[in-house]
Amino acid sequence: MLAERVLALATLLGGALFLIQARALPFGSAERPGAGFFPVLIAVFACVVGLVATARAFVLAPRAAGARTDPPLAPEQRTRVIVAIVLLVIFCALLPWAGYPIAACAFVTLLLRRLGGSWRGAVVAGVLSAAVSHYLFAVLLDVPLPRGPW
Amino acid sequence: MGPLEGLAYGFTIAITPTNLLACFVGVVVGTIVGVLPGIGPVGAMALLLPSTFALDPATALIMLAGIYYGAMYGGSTTSILVNVPGEAGSVVTLLDGYQMTRKGRAGAALAVAAVGSFVAGTVGVVGIMFAASWLADVAVRFGPPEYFAITLGGILLLSRLSSASLTHAFVLVAVGLAVGTIGMDPVSALRRFTYGSVSLSQGVELVPVIMGLYGVAEVLVLAEEGAVRAQIASVRLRELFPTREEWRRSAAPIARGSVVGFLTGLIPGPAAVLSTFISYALEKRVSKTPEKFGTGMIEGVAGPESANNGATAGAMVPLLSLGIPFSPATAILLGALVIHGLQPGPLMISQRPEIFWGFVASMYIGNFLLLILNLPLVGLFVSVLRLPQHVLATLVLLLCLVGAYSLSNSFLDLWILVVFGVFGYALRKLRVDPSPLVVALVLGPMMEKTLRQSLFLTRGSVIELVSRPLTAVILILSLAALVGPPLVRLLRRRGDPAEAPAA
Repeated sequence: MLAERVLALATLLGGALFLIQARALPFGSAERPGAGFFPVLIAVFACVVGLVATARAFVLAPRAAGARTDPPLAPEQRTRVIVAIVLLVIFCALLPWAGYPIAACAFVTLLLRRLGGSWRGAVVAGVLSAAVSHYLFAVLLDVPLPRGPW
Repeated sequence: MGPLEGLAYGFTIAITPTNLLACFVGVVVGTIVGVLPGIGPVGAMALLLPSTFALDPATALIMLAGIYYGAMYGGSTTSILVNVPGEAGSVVTLLDGYQMTRKGRAGAALAVAAVGSFVAGTVGVVGIMFAASWLADVAVRFGPPEYFAITLGGILLLSRLSSASLTHAFVLVAVGLAVGTIGMDPVSALRRFTYGSVSLSQGVELVPVIMGLYGVAEVLVLAEEGAVRAQIASVRLRELFPTREEWRRSAAPIARGSVVGFLTGLIPGPAAVLSTFISYALEKRVSKTPEKFGTGMIEGVAGPESANNGATAGAMVPLLSLGIPFSPATAILLGALVIHGLQPGPLMISQRPEIFWGFVASMYIGNFLLLILNLPLVGLFVSVLRLPQHVLATLVLLLCLVGAYSLSNSFLDLWILVVFGVFGYALRKLRVDPSPLVVALVLGPMMEKTLRQSLFLTRGSVIELVSRPLTAVILILSLAALVGPPLVRLLRRRGDPAEAPAA
């Protein structure tokens, strides 16, 4: 139910912010709609949907709104998902300056280790997967993957 | 060029070694991702899209479509043998499929599923040949108001069908439409919501969004469980022959499932999934022993497995004839064509017949390949399930990351992938289908352009816009589908006091 309320409020708030931004664009007229015409329509639609969702989540049917969500995760499951997300973020931040081989190797090694592999297996998989994917994309498909400082 | 003449021409395109290889790779990858629970065809298509940049547009389309319909074959294998759906279109199959495995009839269930998929896939391709050609001829006369009505109607219908809650679907539509406005304005070239970023001025790429919502989100769900190996029932080749009685009982469900699937595929929405539920309900209704469904009835495997393949073929019709994708999978196919400088639509069939007819012919070949691959090699495909989930999850995440970056060598795409991956995971936990977001993101720019052109044509008159005959019919039908079901429920409740909720 909390998730439903967050989703509803986020939609309402997002719609309002989008409306403020969209109104700064030239609206034009009905005969000659400008660049802001469609965004304003979307923003109004989002605000209306956000209002309905908020009413449903807080007033009309708070029980029904939360009835279909998944059961909460066990602490260990939650940690695994959070670690995976944090490693994704670290990969994105690390890639431009450390380069693909190091970022990929570190990502695979740390994630595999955290999800249940041994250190030895995780390191071997990290090195192999970074090397194979680098060869596949950078050499065979000619993608200019960031190489890092060397 | 008539359909049969076109098909003959298409075979000359599809049987070139490159296209045959692309078809083979597509259906094998499709079968594998179909077998693997958690990794769906949409994520796999998005993942492999960058590898098709170097290919011909026809070859790229043939390979990506092979993944889509190949996954429908593979999905049934996991449902029948492991009691876990390989992909969403095979959820219904496990009800009776796994019960058949428990009774020692797994081989028969797999064989009927494969033959049913083949029949439905072939029937569907015949449907594409005739329906797409006909619709394209009609659509040549469509103007911006008709296209606006089709895109708006498509989004409304999809919202009704894709999620149990219309509010959730509309939230996602709003997000998809809003994200679609980021970048250059299609008419005045003014930059919108880019905040000075040059990368953002090109707009938000569809593929990292899809990879995030389907690929990363699915993998995060797999990551929850850590190191797990699936328990798989083994099947011997000689067990793969259904009895004469099983064939007799499967024939009509396969025929019905093929037609139901194709027709469902034409409608905007999660066609592959929806068609299996409709087919299962239909088989139960026409059965003399509906109470036995769920205990290992072969009709419950034959019908839905045919339907999901028929639906994948049906979903191609609006894409190929109107240039409008009504599902995330066909949105990727559209993306692949656009990347190669092609704009699918009513003129594509006449102007680029090698693409359309080569693609149609390749689907015949792909379905045949799947039939001969799936039966004898079922053991081999199932063996991919022995790969530990945590290894699979990690490798797929790495492929998503490098695949998203390689689209346009942009770090922004990586961040979009991660943001939509986390958002997709949250949606999964809320049991909300993300497809309205994807379809709104794809159709949004087209909707904006056609709306602005329409208003210009009608000098700003909305009444004139919606009162054109075809526009009015499309909008009325879409609105009826949107408000009809809740209205009927409300009227029934009022008519029957026993059904009214207690005060």
